[in-house]
Amino acid sequence: MATPVMMPNVGITVETCVLTEWLKKKGETVAEGEILFRYETDKSTLEQEAPVSGTLLEIFFGEDSDVPVMTNVCVIGNEGESVEEFRPSAGGDSAPVEEKPEEKARENNIVINNYENNEAAAPAAENAGFIKASPRAKALAQKTGVALKYTAGTGPQGRIIERDVRAAVASGRFSSGAAAGEYNGGTGSGMGGRFTVSDIGSGSAAYTDEKMPLIRRTIAKQMSASLQTAAQLTHTLSFDATDILAFRKAVKDGTAGVEGNITLNDMILYVVSRVLAKPEHRALNAHLLENDVMRYFSGVHMGVAVDTDKGLLVPTLFDCDKKPLSVISKEAKELAAKCRNGAALPDELKGGTFTVSNLGAYGIEHFTPVINIPQTAILGVNTITTRIKAENGGIRTYQAMGLSLTYDHRAVDGGPASRFLSELKETLENFTRFLKEQEG
Amino acid sequence: MPKSQYVKPGPQFEKRTIKLRDIPVCAYDRSIEDEKAVYSRDDFLGMYADMAAIREFETMLLTIKQKGNYNDKEFTYPGPAHLAVGQEATAVGQAYTLGVDDYIFGTHRSHHEVIAKAFSAIKKLSDDELLKIMQEYNDGKNFEVIKKYTKSNGDIKEMAREYFIFGLCCELFAKDMGFSRGLGGSMHAFFLPFGIFPNNAIVGGAAPIATGVALYKKCNKKKGIVVANAGDGAAARGPVYEAMTFANMDQFNDLWEDGYKGGLPIIYNFNNNFYGMGGQTKGETMGYDEVARLGAISKTGMHAERVNGWNVFAVIDAYKRERELIEKGEGPALLELVTYRFSGHSTSDASSYRTKEEVEEWQQYDPLTVFPAQLAEAGIATKEELDALNEAVIDRNRRMFDLASDLNVAPYTDYNEHPDFIESVMFSNKKIEKMDDRPVEVNQTKEENERYQKIAKLSRSAYGEDGKLLPKMRVYNIRDGLFEAIADKYYEDPTLISYGEDVRDWGGAFAVYRGLTEALPYHRLFNSPIAESAIVGSAVGYALAGGRVITELMYCDFIVCSGDEVFNQMAKWQAMSAGKLTMPFVLRVSVGMKYGAQHSQDWTSLCAHVPGLKVIYPVTPYDAKGLMTAALNGTDPVVCFESQKIYDMGERFVEGGVPEGSYEVEIGEPAIRRTGSDLTILTIGPTLYPALDAAEKLEKEFGISAEVIDARSVVPFNYEKVIESVKKTGRILLASDACARGSILNDMAQNITSLAFDYLDAPPVIVGAQNWITPASEYSEQFYPQVDWFLDAVHERIVPLKGYTAKKSYTDTELLRKAKKGV
Repeated sequence: MATPVMMPNVGITVETCVLTEWLKKKGETVAEGEILFRYETDKSTLEQEAPVSGTLLEIFFGEDSDVPVMTNVCVIGNEGESVEEFRPSAGGDSAPVEEKPEEKARENNIVINNYENNEAAAPAAENAGFIKASPRAKALAQKTGVALKYTAGTGPQGRIIERDVRAAVASGRFSSGAAAGEYNGGTGSGMGGRFTVSDIGSGSAAYTDEKMPLIRRTIAKQMSASLQTAAQLTHTLSFDATDILAFRKAVKDGTAGVEGNITLNDMILYVVSRVLAKPEHRALNAHLLENDVMRYFSGVHMGVAVDTDKGLLVPTLFDCDKKPLSVISKEAKELAAKCRNGAALPDELKGGTFTVSNLGAYGIEHFTPVINIPQTAILGVNTITTRIKAENGGIRTYQAMGLSLTYDHRAVDGGPASRFLSELKETLENFTRFLKEQEG
Repeated sequence: MPKSQYVKPGPQFEKRTIKLRDIPVCAYDRSIEDEKAVYSRDDFLGMYADMAAIREFETMLLTIKQKGNYNDKEFTYPGPAHLAVGQEATAVGQAYTLGVDDYIFGTHRSHHEVIAKAFSAIKKLSDDELLKIMQEYNDGKNFEVIKKYTKSNGDIKEMAREYFIFGLCCELFAKDMGFSRGLGGSMHAFFLPFGIFPNNAIVGGAAPIATGVALYKKCNKKKGIVVANAGDGAAARGPVYEAMTFANMDQFNDLWEDGYKGGLPIIYNFNNNFYGMGGQTKGETMGYDEVARLGAISKTGMHAERVNGWNVFAVIDAYKRERELIEKGEGPALLELVTYRFSGHSTSDASSYRTKEEVEEWQQYDPLTVFPAQLAEAGIATKEELDALNEAVIDRNRRMFDLASDLNVAPYTDYNEHPDFIESVMFSNKKIEKMDDRPVEVNQTKEENERYQKIAKLSRSAYGEDGKLLPKMRVYNIRDGLFEAIADKYYEDPTLISYGEDVRDWGGAFAVYRGLTEALPYHRLFNSPIAESAIVGSAVGYALAGGRVITELMYCDFIVCSGDEVFNQMAKWQAMSAGKLTMPFVLRVSVGMKYGAQHSQDWTSLCAHVPGLKVIYPVTPYDAKGLMTAALNGTDPVVCFESQKIYDMGERFVEGGVPEGSYEVEIGEPAIRRTGSDLTILTIGPTLYPALDAAEKLEKEFGISAEVIDARSVVPFNYEKVIESVKKTGRILLASDACARGSILNDMAQNITSLAFDYLDAPPVIVGAQNWITPASEYSEQFYPQVDWFLDAVHERIVPLKGYTAKKSYTDTELLRKAKKGV
């Protein structure tokens, strides 16, 4: 009999994992223990081994698909065996690799023929008190997210047995692990009718207690660790953005002479990476490790903070100081998109030596970014405001952009940090000239 | 029932009297002066020294038990102490005549016999032989101790005596250096290199075993005789009568071939100390007046004599005469040695059953006082010499006690270090295809044998080329499978013998042995008396003496007629000897089906319950041959269950049928007979076949796909396949023809629940026979598991079947009701 391979359930709060890479193709022979595909959860990459040897008969999800856990991903078996019974029902945000016109009913190979479409397909009224269920049914319910409380038992003396749980899954009466606490026995908006966290809260409850998703918990841990260990303080200044705005206009007009839709942020990344690469600023392009060790990097690997639906992600633009502006611009956009799609690879989410966090788009005028330890500094980019300055005995208005540099005073003192910040100001105010010097 | 012996009616009704032979009592009438011409000074002193050694050994135990010390050293010994204070001369006289090739068996009270036999063997073995024994036994560990602490001044024989007392103390004190690493203890001490076979704590228990050893000597032409020691209390035990009856069979002289004629070379030696525990055998609990009268069970009177067991010369005299008769083929013999124990039955015995005066009067004749006085009076040795001899013996005993009780010298077995120690000796698990290399004795070649010829014409598969079942008469069946394995082994292992009720001529009540009568001489296949204790007990002896044996109990129900022999002897001697003995013994038992309550019980559970037995239950011809071959190649005691329901069953599972050549089916491995995904059915025995029918019905009528597994073996049992199946199906039903209560299936169900709890979709369900007596075969459908019972059980306890109405109730209420009523 063919064997389905599921997206594993890697943690109670994990609802989906991103299938990042297939190492085997449909039709290929696989040996037990060989890696079938890679997938990732918030920040870890995992590998799925083939549980049995055989032919990879079918692949239900392509690369970069977001696959609900405990959903069949592929099927291994002998040439010619049917895979339809394992095909996940439609739903979810990923399309199957090969489309099948109709959704096949989930076959239940345990249920006796006479019992198909019996009352087990309907949800039970809420079971009160002790719930009689077989150990096998309990284990399956936990795995699939079926609430035994809302499941009718068709075993001897009303015991809930395996087939009852399978019937509940087939009719979409199950929930994701994260939403289990709030599950009310109905169907939800998830794959195959699964009740997920997004279904929570549709009621009129005064409040809801929700377990934080893993990504949230990871951020929480990272942020408090940063504030607890690093001696951070923030210097803020603003620079005259006239030049970069002019360059931006030229980009829009197509007269800038540089490929791509270069944004203000791209220009800042470009300048920061160049200035940071100078030996005198190496303490800011570094990691402060345990045991009082400073690790200085020969390249600038720029962390670019990206706000996503799930939370803050910081993909890394490697060797930013060596890349031309157009490349930086292109890669920064690609990385951000990947993060927002949940498709960023774990390797792309680590390895940064310095971080730039741009809140300008939200009208933030000043903030104190938190260092992504063990990095030693982070640059916050603020919104553009109109300012006035005395010039030639008169006053003129100009567009100013704020920069907030948070640095770890353990790694670097106020003087050098300030010098770095003012060099940034200087360079950005003369961006066009600087770009010419750099790229010709 | 040989046709050569015609039972003529006329003489049966002729008027006559049966004359019993006169039984000599205290026939010995020589004086010590007469004996001086027979024995040397060394002989006399040796006898005294050995008697003194026994007295001191027993005194040691008595002191330890009563005062908690010996030789000024505190020591506790919690084990049994059935002492033979007073019975020394009896043992020394017996052992004096015995050679190393003569074997003794003892009882719970046998320290004296063991020491006497050991010291006798030491006198008869050369120094080189003794050194070899001491170096080899227990990897020489005990010998290392003795070499370090000996005071023998280069006297190897004295060193061997030290060695023996030390090893015996260790065995009693449960030390790792005991002869059986402490697993035997006081009541089971033995030492094969000196011809000392296991003592037995079951009263009279050694008699059938000793008989089997004598049978081994006879069938394999080995030198020596066997002495089965017993007390007067054992004279009441059925197995003792059975053993003596077995040893006295007419066929030894009337039917067995030349070269094998003559009675068994065994002396049943009753040490009559007048008390069976506290019961006075003469005057209270028995009616024989003298034990020697028991010889009347044989037309020879078993050459029985009542002998003064307190006179060492009288004992020697009797033994010499009995040996002569036995060597002429006129055995077996019976001796009653009159003796007396001053000590209680055990040290907890307050002697409430006898008077102080009685004990005191016997003490006037205490051999330990009388014998040295005689020696001094006859001028054989001075009192001082004798006292010095006694002192030396006491000193040796004390020194050996000091060593054996010293944890640094003789530690206990370290169960923390070796938690699997006893586990490792429960089974020998060896594969020895033949127990001896000499040519086999057979009357025909296989090709000449009619049964082999008949089998050659049969289809080795149940199915014909068209895939349809062939007529039963044309098919190789379970009978043939068993026959082939056994007959092939007869042509391979010269030591293999088989006996039981009606195995010869008749070919076994169920015709498994048909054809063997023609192929084998009497000494390899013979009918036994209807004496199950003797059948099983003697086979235990035959096996532990070094032969391979199959015996048959016609019906499984007769197992309990040989309860002690199956459960206490067959099962235990490998482990009680710490692995020094092997037990290549297959006990065939046939499970009936239509002869009512005492002829149709499946008792696999009884055999599985007692540790030490392997239990197999083949239900296909392939397994019958393969499991029997594995059992016969092995060295462990195996109880082979056979079902009368399916002796004529052909091979339905193995493609190509039953192979002609030899092969083994591994004991302990179940077989999957039908694959399925929704339900597992595990069966023991012939219930496999209704289970398969039930599986078909479940599939066809209810779409439930059942996997059916045939246990094939009960002990050992590998659960892996079953657990794998249950993980898949989540449901298991266990079935056999045994009564459900206490069935081994419950044990298996419990293990399966433990091993696969989280995979279970319903509790394991047992389908067994009713907890009733077995009714007449007309009602067997009411008693044994039927196809519908499987469906009923599935419907009511595992998964309700749509539209099904159960015929038999498996509900909770019914379960509770039945348990409450004890049915």
